[in-house]
Amino acid sequence: MLKEPRILAGNYLIKQLPTATVFLNRKFEIVHASDTWISYFYVKDHDLIGTSIFQFLGCAKQEWRLALGKCLKGAPTKTVKECHLDELGNEKWFQWSAIPWYDEEENIVGVIVQNEDVTEKMNNDLSLEKLHIVIREQSEIAKIGNWEYSASKDKLSWCDMTRKIHGVSTDFVPTLEKVIDFYKTGYSKNTISMVVNRAISEGTSWREKLQIVTPKGAEKWIIAAGKPIFKNEEFVGLIGTYQDVNDEVLTDMRTRENEKLLKTLIDHLPLNVFIKDSQFRKILANKAECDYLGANGPEEVIGKTDEDFYDKETARATRKDDLDVMTLLKPILGEERTSIKKGGEKVSFLTSKIPLIADDGSAYGLVGISMDITGLKQKEEELMDLINVTSLQNKKLINFAHIVSHNLRSHAANFSMLLDFLVSEKDEEEKRNIIEMLLGASDNLMETLDNLNEVVAIRTNVNREMEAVNINGRIRSVLQGLSSLIKENNATIENTVPDDLCIEGVPAYIESIFINLITNAIKYRSPNRDPKIKISAVKENDRTLLRVADNGLGIDLKKYGDKLFGMYKTFHDNKDAKGIGLYITKNQIEAMNGKVKTFSEVGKGTTFNISFDEKN
Amino acid sequence: MKRIDSIFIVDDDPITVFGIRKMLDFVVECRDISSYKNGKLALDQIHQRLEANEQVPDVIFLDINMPIMDGWQFLEEFIRLPIHKKIRINIITSSIDDLDQKNWMRYKSMTEHPISFNNKPLKKHEIAEITKAA
Repeated sequence: MLKEPRILAGNYLIKQLPTATVFLNRKFEIVHASDTWISYFYVKDHDLIGTSIFQFLGCAKQEWRLALGKCLKGAPTKTVKECHLDELGNEKWFQWSAIPWYDEEENIVGVIVQNEDVTEKMNNDLSLEKLHIVIREQSEIAKIGNWEYSASKDKLSWCDMTRKIHGVSTDFVPTLEKVIDFYKTGYSKNTISMVVNRAISEGTSWREKLQIVTPKGAEKWIIAAGKPIFKNEEFVGLIGTYQDVNDEVLTDMRTRENEKLLKTLIDHLPLNVFIKDSQFRKILANKAECDYLGANGPEEVIGKTDEDFYDKETARATRKDDLDVMTLLKPILGEERTSIKKGGEKVSFLTSKIPLIADDGSAYGLVGISMDITGLKQKEEELMDLINVTSLQNKKLINFAHIVSHNLRSHAANFSMLLDFLVSEKDEEEKRNIIEMLLGASDNLMETLDNLNEVVAIRTNVNREMEAVNINGRIRSVLQGLSSLIKENNATIENTVPDDLCIEGVPAYIESIFINLITNAIKYRSPNRDPKIKISAVKENDRTLLRVADNGLGIDLKKYGDKLFGMYKTFHDNKDAKGIGLYITKNQIEAMNGKVKTFSEVGKGTTFNISFDEKN
Repeated sequence: MKRIDSIFIVDDDPITVFGIRKMLDFVVECRDISSYKNGKLALDQIHQRLEANEQVPDVIFLDINMPIMDGWQFLEEFIRLPIHKKIRINIITSSIDDLDQKNWMRYKSMTEHPISFNNKPLKKHEIAEITKAA
């Protein structure tokens, strides 16, 4: 006979049970339920008593049915956990457990089911599990291992990562002494011994970048960090971490080596190298650039712009170059630029500017490389000067050669022609006439040769020793020699040259120059007035100017200016004119590094300015 | 013997003038041979003859290096003169300067008058060759 539990509806004792409890008959219908159980599961709308318990179970229903069946035969159930949504829709986790329900005669009349709210516990378990996973992942990724030392048990425990970092297997038993031995002898071992001892005695923590050596002999950079633990001011242990930073340290060291190499290279290049950012500020300057800018080091250059170092014009020009390079993204390569610093120092550069281009295709700065070519430029200019002087002299030489050739040829032609006539001439009178002409031609040839000799002498004695020549002394001697000519022509000479004026020159040349200019002034006098010649001198700094001015015929310089000092050029119908005087005068002046300039007005007179620059 | 109406010799060297005159005696018949010491004197004479409607020379012997107005300056002005007949101009020089050769080519291209370039010394047969009305 099946025993039926006595239904004690409203049994007050059961109602007040603190845990969620429900009593089931053998058909697993609810007979009693505690208020707590009702508050967990009961929905008011239907009658609770007599309801099958399985209505309150979800996916665990089948498992639970089997369990309850066993329970009716006297076996206590294992617990199951199941999620249940409360009225507000929140997840609630309940643990279900059941025991057999005995009556006074020890008959099993049903099952007593208890429910425990395990939501919080479940959540805690989950977060703990998550935390473990995160820590493990982190330790894997960051290669950080941890360890713990308990002083009371003298036991050191290592996590898997710590073992991996040290290159030992899971059965390795670490001790404090063994650990110290992992450190590389020298700085690393000394440092770790010191910091651990200090941690124990003084309570300080540590963090050091050190090297360990694995059992296989591999050296490895790690960051060892740790701190002591005290309980009631008594040392109880140590905890700490190891971080494998070998790759980072090696990469870092390599990078630094590369940087050093690059810096050494850039600093010792005999070129000015700099980098500017998009705001035209220097962010790198090598030694040559710093030296050039007069800075004691890069720190005096970095962050500054060209406006800080150059004059306005130069800064504007470099700014334009920079802008072009960065906006057009086209480099400037090996172009000549002249920079003037604020102090006025002028330097010529061969400059290249190359844009630095970011991933998005825009320029974020530029690299500049400049070579100082000031010396080169100067040499070039000197060379050009030399070429000009040489070509001028060459031209003069060719001109002179033509003159010589022309003169000798014309004399030779005359001789040849006259002799030809003489040979075939019958008439005695004409023969005498021709011989007369031959004699004249011979005299002319001798004179021409003398003139040419004189010119050659002046030209070949260009390096003749110069001496200080007192100008007035020479003028006086010249005037004395020309006194009869001056008298005959009723000429007046006004000489205002100071007595102490001297120039570096050749005395004979200076006399010759004055003789020529004064006789010319008289020879080409105006028929309307007596000749008046003014000789004066001005000395300015290193420059001496001698001036000979007359009131003679004058000459149309527009017409004849370029031929005035030419050889065998005459301009007036004067029977004494040979066209050699001024040519020699000019050569003598130039042989003493002087220059001559002429001013003239037809009918009024001519002025010769002869200047000597001591610097030349 | 050829007959030429008028010949000018423009040269400042009396020996050359003498030589040319003497050689001309052998090769042409000319009653009007005159000489001038520089270009200016010759040019003045031509101006005068043009104004007086007298005959201008048929042949001019012209030196280059002369004072006051040299051969080139003379040519520069001469080729601008309103002369309708062609006048033969014989440059006589001892210059072997390239520049003179170039000047000759230049003036030759600038005028209808025939211009010849001759180096000294001139031989009789050369004179005969270049002394004819253009």
